[in-house]
Amino acid sequence: MSELVRLTDITKVYQGGVTGALNGVSLAIEEGEFTAIMGPSGSGKSTLLNLVAGLDRPSSGSVTVAGSDLGRLSETGLARFRRDRIGFVFQFFHLLPNLTALENVLIPARLKSRVSAESAGRALMSRLGIGEVADRYPSRLSGGQQQRVAVARALINQPTLLLADEPTGALDTKSGDQVMALFAELHQEGQTIVLVTHDPKLATRYAARVISMLDGRVIDDARLETTERKPADVIRVRSEEPSR
Amino acid sequence: MSLKYGVLGLLAEEPLHGYEVKNRFEAMLGGTWEVNIGQVYTTLQRLERDGLVRPVGSRGDRGKLLYELLEPGRTALNAWLSAPDQGPQRLHEEFYVKLLLATRLANGDLGPLLARQKRAYLQLLRDLNQLEDRAKRDGRNDLARLVRGALLHTEADIKWIDELSEKNGGGSWDTK
Repeated sequence: MSELVRLTDITKVYQGGVTGALNGVSLAIEEGEFTAIMGPSGSGKSTLLNLVAGLDRPSSGSVTVAGSDLGRLSETGLARFRRDRIGFVFQFFHLLPNLTALENVLIPARLKSRVSAESAGRALMSRLGIGEVADRYPSRLSGGQQQRVAVARALINQPTLLLADEPTGALDTKSGDQVMALFAELHQEGQTIVLVTHDPKLATRYAARVISMLDGRVIDDARLETTERKPADVIRVRSEEPSR
Repeated sequence: MSLKYGVLGLLAEEPLHGYEVKNRFEAMLGGTWEVNIGQVYTTLQRLERDGLVRPVGSRGDRGKLLYELLEPGRTALNAWLSAPDQGPQRLHEEFYVKLLLATRLANGDLGPLLARQKRAYLQLLRDLNQLEDRAKRDGRNDLARLVRGALLHTEADIKWIDELSEKNGGGSWDTK
């Protein structure tokens, strides 16, 4: 595994408030890792994700992704970086309502002016179980389907890094599980994923590395073991001495 | 709870030998509660003494004795099943005492203690998640429900640690 992301002494200061600010964050993410970032709202986890995605710039410190120092890129260079390297899945899907599901999926590919994107888009959508709704508009889709369209859009350019900010936050349990099962499958195939969530059950189910943030700082960076353990080592149903 | 009602419940299905009681009980609990056979026999003898079960016939091959549930046993079982689980909340007592002592000894800085405990809970969550997956894969939805309960309890423990960490924020935790 080689290093894919490196953050060095990142600070982010917001005018008129401290919410989401970062206060000296350094960390590295390896290729192929599934990392979860957890923390209460305002702890800076979404800010961190946006900096890695090149959606925002730090006040100080450097962000390097796949060998590119994002601070050295122009706005155009940063836009190209996002298009070619980053897939981003948001909590509220952010689909364009006047485009069909397929057209939404194809936006990043069209920006990259790939000629044969349509068949790739349809194939990807079939794989994600939304092939049959490819020509419908977002308003005709369920939340789970809309999020899978958003995932397809994030994947269409085969990103180096898949970033997701509370991707199941607006979904019911079943749709959320489907989206996460998809992430797990992508990770099996080698996709590097960074997931922001406030749900520790979700984080530990899918990610072997859990980074905890508080007040703009990383307070813990845990790599969890994946060895299977005996049920009795994991749950003990309480017992007392038999009564006389 | 003691083994008593587990034994009564299994005998309510059909008469069983001590070993069958042990095996069925452990299988029902999916390996989360291991009992030794001595405990099962002691329990059966007490239940017999109290008139809740009785041996059927004579000792079979290898000296095994079959037990069946009696009417008073069924009544006791039903009363137990219909009563809610009451009593004080049971906690991970060691961590609570560590927390109280650390508050006195470490000038209120609980950061490292909380971080280590949170990490342990995260690992436990991951292990429970795997156990839930395995239970579902094996078609043991009853066991998966049990694991789900444990997951939610552990999540609550993590939330509590997070609250303490937020209060601990600046490095000191006011004990007054």
